[in-house]
Amino acid sequence: MSYKDKVKTDLFPTIWCPGCGIGLIMTQLAMVMDDLGLDRTNTVMVTGIGCTGRMGAYMQFDSVYTLHGRTLPVAEAIATVRPELNVIVVSGDGDMTSIGGNHLLHAIRRNPRITVLCNNNEIYGLTGGQTGPTTPVGTKTVSSPAGATFSPVNLQGLVNTNGNAFYAKTTVYHQGQMRRAIKEAIEWPGFAFVDITSQCIENNGRRIGFPSANEMLNYYRKEYRQAPPGSTQLANHQLGIVKGRAAEPKAEPAGAGAGKGSGEA
Amino acid sequence: MAKRLLQGNEAVLLGAVKAGATYFAGYPISPSSEVLMAASVYAASHPELRFLQAEDEIASANAIIGASLAGAKSFTATSGPGFSLMQEAIGYAHKLGVPTVFVDVQRVGPATGMPTMPGQGDILQTRYGSSGDYTSIVFYPSTVAECYEYTIRAFNCAEESRSPVVLLSDAFLGHLNEVVDLDAIRVPVVERTLEPLASGHTRLFSGVATYPDGEPATADADEFIRQYEEAKARRLEVSERYAFHEYGWNKDADTLVIAFGITRRIAQPLAPHFALFRPIRIWPVLQDELREIAPRYRRIVVIEGSDGQYASVVERVLYRDVYRVPLLGGRMSLEAVREGLDRIGLLPAELAEAAV
Repeated sequence: MSYKDKVKTDLFPTIWCPGCGIGLIMTQLAMVMDDLGLDRTNTVMVTGIGCTGRMGAYMQFDSVYTLHGRTLPVAEAIATVRPELNVIVVSGDGDMTSIGGNHLLHAIRRNPRITVLCNNNEIYGLTGGQTGPTTPVGTKTVSSPAGATFSPVNLQGLVNTNGNAFYAKTTVYHQGQMRRAIKEAIEWPGFAFVDITSQCIENNGRRIGFPSANEMLNYYRKEYRQAPPGSTQLANHQLGIVKGRAAEPKAEPAGAGAGKGSGEA
Repeated sequence: MAKRLLQGNEAVLLGAVKAGATYFAGYPISPSSEVLMAASVYAASHPELRFLQAEDEIASANAIIGASLAGAKSFTATSGPGFSLMQEAIGYAHKLGVPTVFVDVQRVGPATGMPTMPGQGDILQTRYGSSGDYTSIVFYPSTVAECYEYTIRAFNCAEESRSPVVLLSDAFLGHLNEVVDLDAIRVPVVERTLEPLASGHTRLFSGVATYPDGEPATADADEFIRQYEEAKARRLEVSERYAFHEYGWNKDADTLVIAFGITRRIAQPLAPHFALFRPIRIWPVLQDELREIAPRYRRIVVIEGSDGQYASVVERVLYRDVYRVPLLGGRMSLEAVREGLDRIGLLPAELAEAAV
């Protein structure tokens, strides 16, 4: 078996723009799935609306392409009815933290065993590049011509309101670190959130001064740093994994080792 | 089992359990909360029923869709504003073809309205509440025993039609206590029709228009129409087996009363003077039955807890005017029915005298 067996390569090329970061996430997710033995009998994907939501259609699993913002209630119900399954949510930042914000708040509180991969490109890409809940203050977008007004939502802070939850920060440039974060997130016995900074070159990057996706990746390489070992809180532009107290495993997941969580970053 | 005293909302829960429901999600809202509370109590001693008190009705509606895809017969119960919040998800369930049951215990709207007072103002919302075209199947019982029976039938019909089915109730019926013998109500249960998630396939359950292989079909009218017509045909065909209604009272009278849900019970004293048609299947509208029965009567009066929602549907189906007796503001009583009939000059003398 190869990680390529997790992907419907016959549907390539994808609808994603050249230079988009989503494919880099899909590749690492496929590799982790291969490592952990995730297949179409033990794993379900749940995706949101936006460019990111298309990922479910490209992978060799049963996949639920939900309404905008509604991944988490659907995913949590699947995990409740079928606790033996690995439920992988892939969603954009707008979908997950704006229109789906209330569900995020309460999924964190209830701590179901689901894995969330949040493609955080700091913009509403599919609809043309409007400012989103994760857009940095001052960023000029097609809906914030004078620069975004409000501070981005504090995802780490939100996730950490539950002491049992798992939060990881990574970027699509840091492929190895992203892969470790996705792997540990899937193995985590409760709610796991992987916050993946990625580039939307066509509907954001070029407008804010990046000539190409390559420059955006280089920017991530220069700006982001690994957090010191043992960090329990990640500073801005720090990469790392912050794990809560290990929750009791709710069920033994097929194909993935649950209950391996530790209290260390 | 012996007869027992049972509330309409509790009968819904027992009907769901009888139908094989194993997942409930809901959010507290009057006058439907007894369904949620009864579900939580039942689940505490029957772990096969999974229970979620969700953060809102949007989450509840999407959760029962996810649960159904995962293999559970699922349902929720709500009212008024909660049912409005669920409309997006109902459209999604129609698009996916997911069997599940939405219970709407109607109160007086719009908005927060009159939370504990009965209404029947969601008749058109159950048909047209979500965006786009879809084919709704809706039942509306009139007694506590029927709350039990038609909840089972709603689950059966959801499975057969592969669509979300709505069971209507109202604040009056939901809170009504009646003596019932549930064992005397025997409805065969339809087994699960949808193969659960992770059965070895690579299916895409998409709210977006897609081809069977998962590729976007967002600009292909032919593919859209093909999928739409297929879903519509299935729902219409299945609903034909669920064409429940009641035709009775004084069939030789010259005026036909149309009433449903609790309104039919309230109007019972009219029986000697009027014929009665009671649709139990509210949607798809019982067009053939109405067209067969209506020509026998000079006048038709629709008595309902809204300002003519069902009356407008009857007029459209029959191509003729009907009289309306709207029972508004929660005033769902025989007195209000008498006043309404008097206003349009159709109150029988015997009933007018009885009122004095």
